[in-house]
Amino acid sequence: MMVIRQPMHYTVSLGLWNVQYSRLACPRQIGKMHARYIWIGDRPLSQEFHTREFNNGLTLVAQRMADVSSTAVTLRVPSGARYDPPGAEGSASVLAEWCLRGAGERNTRELNDALDALGCQHHESVQSRHITFSTAQLGRNLAAVLEILADIVRAASLGDETFGPCRDLIRQDLAALEDAPARKANLLLRERFYPGPLGRCIYGSDESLAALSAGALRDHAGAHIGPDGAILSVAGNIEWAELSDRAGECFGDWSAPAPGEPDQHPPAGGVTHVAKDSAQAHIAMAYPTVPVAHEQYYAARLAATVLSGGMSSRLFTEVREKRGLAYHVSTQYDSLRNVAGMFTYAGTVPEKAQETFDVTVGELQRIAEGIADEEMARARTQLKSALVMQGESTAARAAAMAGDWYHLRRLRSLKELSDAIDTVTVDKVLVHLRDWPAGKFTVLVIGPEPVNTSAIET
Amino acid sequence: MQFKQTRLDNGLTMIAEVNESAKSMAAGFFARTGSRDESPEVAGVSHFLEHMMFKGTERRTAFDVNRGFDELGATYNAFTSEENTVYFGAVLPEFQTRLVDLLGDMLRPALRDEDFDMEKNVIVDEIARYQDQPQYRLYEKLMAEHFRGHPLGNSVLGSAESIMALKRDDMRAYFDRRYSPGNVTAVAVGKVDWNAFVEKTTGMCSHWKPFDVSRETAECSGAGTRGTIVDEKVAREHVGIMSPAPSGQDDARFAAQLLATVLGDTTGSRLFYALIEPAIADEANTTYDMLDGTGGFLTFISADGGRAAEAVEIAHAEFRKLMDDGPTETELAAAKNKIASAATLKGELPMGRLTAVGFDWVYRREYVSLAEQIDTIFAVTVDEVVAMARACDLTATTVLGLGPVEKL
Repeated sequence: MMVIRQPMHYTVSLGLWNVQYSRLACPRQIGKMHARYIWIGDRPLSQEFHTREFNNGLTLVAQRMADVSSTAVTLRVPSGARYDPPGAEGSASVLAEWCLRGAGERNTRELNDALDALGCQHHESVQSRHITFSTAQLGRNLAAVLEILADIVRAASLGDETFGPCRDLIRQDLAALEDAPARKANLLLRERFYPGPLGRCIYGSDESLAALSAGALRDHAGAHIGPDGAILSVAGNIEWAELSDRAGECFGDWSAPAPGEPDQHPPAGGVTHVAKDSAQAHIAMAYPTVPVAHEQYYAARLAATVLSGGMSSRLFTEVREKRGLAYHVSTQYDSLRNVAGMFTYAGTVPEKAQETFDVTVGELQRIAEGIADEEMARARTQLKSALVMQGESTAARAAAMAGDWYHLRRLRSLKELSDAIDTVTVDKVLVHLRDWPAGKFTVLVIGPEPVNTSAIET
Repeated sequence: MQFKQTRLDNGLTMIAEVNESAKSMAAGFFARTGSRDESPEVAGVSHFLEHMMFKGTERRTAFDVNRGFDELGATYNAFTSEENTVYFGAVLPEFQTRLVDLLGDMLRPALRDEDFDMEKNVIVDEIARYQDQPQYRLYEKLMAEHFRGHPLGNSVLGSAESIMALKRDDMRAYFDRRYSPGNVTAVAVGKVDWNAFVEKTTGMCSHWKPFDVSRETAECSGAGTRGTIVDEKVAREHVGIMSPAPSGQDDARFAAQLLATVLGDTTGSRLFYALIEPAIADEANTTYDMLDGTGGFLTFISADGGRAAEAVEIAHAEFRKLMDDGPTETELAAAKNKIASAATLKGELPMGRLTAVGFDWVYRREYVSLAEQIDTIFAVTVDEVVAMARACDLTATTVLGLGPVEKL
């Protein structure tokens, strides 16, 4: 067991740590990933981008990385939790599990064995808009993996006999949230912060899961798992012409009706206390900010970095270093396509919950009063350096390109990102913070006692 | 890919795996010390000291240290385990020397009283954080049980009581007992300027005074007990199962790694088909833990309380079957592909190679390239896996449950 100095929230997340060190937290991976925009790039000279839009609405995006031997694939299909029918919440999560229970000519075991034999690391996750299938493998096995992925999304068996266990696994995932209060706090916060049903908890409820049936979920899959708006992103040692042909063979004649967007309703917001006799108070809060496509996006990212980018950031310094209030306090930027939030989490012993809340909120607001030039310089360096370092990972690149395409319908080069970061001045961040101040908070606390939030706007 | 090594007169070793095509470099100081090297009265001091290393030196305040890393745009952290404490960062190549300056300076900490007292609060909060994570609590109790009477049973975090009672001078004494240059390895990987690395590390570390450091490395066959910790507040039954495995110095470690993959990888393994596919458990996976002088297979299961005992019996039946009949050729081939693929992916990033290269040296004083390592794994036979499993006895398990269940 390795106990780390700063929670992984801080380090630029590649998923690397989870794989490498965390032998305690190696759950089955369905739905364990939050929908989170990962923001990365590569050095300009080694960036070779390709895109191909198919008539059926699927887009293939790719980056050739000549120095690596792996390839990574991110396939995002627009059938995420927001499309779960009312009363059938949790559908997408069960479906993501069910799709792996046999597809094409293969039964469950043959499908898994085929992926294993290719040395393919794969996982499935559910976000607001998408079900995401991610794989990583040696470059020479890419073609075979694409064929299997096509089977999974186009020809999943979805048999009656495998439905029950898949649903039961999601029910257990939901139950397991009780033993992961920090994670639960963030999921419940998203649900209240984002307009319904965009932030909905991907696991549904005991009642909604019990109400699912194999037949109804099969119909739902037929109506929602399709190519329109799907993104196939590939990074690594690829030959574009070959990849493009293979993707065409696998997905080009895929057709399915395009699902409509669900009706949205305003977020619940407010302050919620979930009583639990826990060792820590888990404090989660969010306030609105600009989405990725907004002109103030980079200003928002720099503000988040000044607040929480590294160990010299405002929150770490004021809450942890100077006052010893909490081991973990951090702010993360999170964006759906049209709405976004600054999400802050702090875990602390219950007797320090109020002070931790007050100091944290104070820092979220105080940043609007001014930022020192050297703080901005550090934030810029951190963001730009992370671009290059994460650009070495095929998995990170595949995920980032899929994110770019979803949010912007184009791919951003390192140069574009780097230039954009350079043009953000202190004044621009301050203007952004005046336009999008730390207000209209949604707060969720899991712990023995509520916190007093009368000092903030909710 | 080139390997480099040299040693200072005071015993500090420097090694590097130089990869000219990498776009970043990572460096770390690996101290061969952890909770197994603590006496009971200073439980948790290794990890607390790791925090204090970030609290400043003679020439830097705590904020200077943190700011220093952030100014380099570094990805950096530190971790403490039962037997290692590692401080590391990754940066663009042009910042290599400044990164080494920071890391090297940090390792001679000021240990100021006011910082020491303030950081106690953070450690106590960190302990509370883990209390809300049943799987971690279980892990700690399982280690204590399996390694009963052996220093590997020591908790990495210690307890709130042991931390509050700790004196700054106790920490200084621990530092003076464990952080000898001969017990520390400076490791660099990626796009490394080797000459500059040696020069800077020498400048930072050659004045460190050497002294003798020892470690108790007796083997341990494990307690072999079965028990539960009943906690009605925990929703799931979390079960940990540990059995003996080859040590970090044993050539059978490759067979052990393959066995753990066949048995309990998160997809497509024996436990996956026996427990996850039919939804008897929502988590079941096995890892192989290489330790200094010993080792362990560690299986974690999470299940509904009502099915936990059944899940444990099924897992045991799988252990028995695998030990008796071994993996099939197909299973072994798949496990080899998975391990090779994972190592390749990780190895494409300097940060991913850092610990692999560092621990090969710390545990065995050797460098093994990724290609050699993969060749060795592909050469392992079914017979070798079976022989290893039988020699260790996969069924000699220590079992511990945490959650609502009274008896497993």
